[in-house]
Amino acid sequence: MATTTAQLILTSTDLLSDSLSVSAIGTLTGAGNSTGLTGTEGLGRKKLASGHAQYVLFEAGNRTADKAHKIYLKNTSTTAAEYFLITLNGEDMGRLYAGDWAFFPWSAHDSDNDIKIDPSADDMTLEYMLFTDD
Amino acid sequence: MATQAQLILTSDVSGDPTNVDTGLITLTKAGGTNELDQTTGLGRVHLRSTTNKVLFAANAEGNDLAAKVYIINKSEDAALYVTVTINAQTIGKLYGGDFMFIPWSQTDTAASIEVAATNWTSSTGDIPVEYALFHEDTDYLTNA
Repeated sequence: MATTTAQLILTSTDLLSDSLSVSAIGTLTGAGNSTGLTGTEGLGRKKLASGHAQYVLFEAGNRTADKAHKIYLKNTSTTAAEYFLITLNGEDMGRLYAGDWAFFPWSAHDSDNDIKIDPSADDMTLEYMLFTDD
Repeated sequence: MATQAQLILTSDVSGDPTNVDTGLITLTKAGGTNELDQTTGLGRVHLRSTTNKVLFAANAEGNDLAAKVYIINKSEDAALYVTVTINAQTIGKLYGGDFMFIPWSQTDTAASIEVAATNWTSSTGDIPVEYALFHEDTDYLTNA
């Protein structure tokens, strides 16, 4: 069985008066079961050289609905002001600023549930990976 | 006040193994290098309702500022999931043990992040969820 693990480490020594340390690790499994995810679109990179218009990164219609897909995104820019706006079926999730990453489940619950990306500038590179539960 | 986040992904789904390590990334305010300096702290709730509950209420003052949301389903039952939505738009389902870490722009005051124990029943037991918000808006708390 294929095994994919995701580990998150969150740490802060001085944000609070006591230090914060969170570690979570889990195996990515199918919806409602313990079978490891077996599909991926691979680790990829995308850069729009010009026009920096919003584009569809993942089409919901290509995925089985209401499953346990997982998405990883990273803004590889080193210019602090540059961000990718992540949008989910017209609803803004958030801005991924330079160096930031995101990891989240994606239900692809209907064909409108596309993941769209809008770079704030030209020549920005997004790193991404999708683990699928089709 | 450095708060840092790291993701490590390892996978043998493909023919060759995949290893992604973001390294420890400092969480910063929008458009600059100043560090995020506020947090709700690490919280925990036990969900026992299929109805959406507001976990983080969007605030106009936070519009397009930087915020980071961490949510984990601490249930040990792989079948029990928490549906996470933003402004009624489903992001995804966190099954037992799953976590998410996302930026949150609070683009409008309807963009609250909500959770629901969608397949909870009185016989499944509660679904424990832990969460934290790191943010920069100084007026995050809702007016009384």
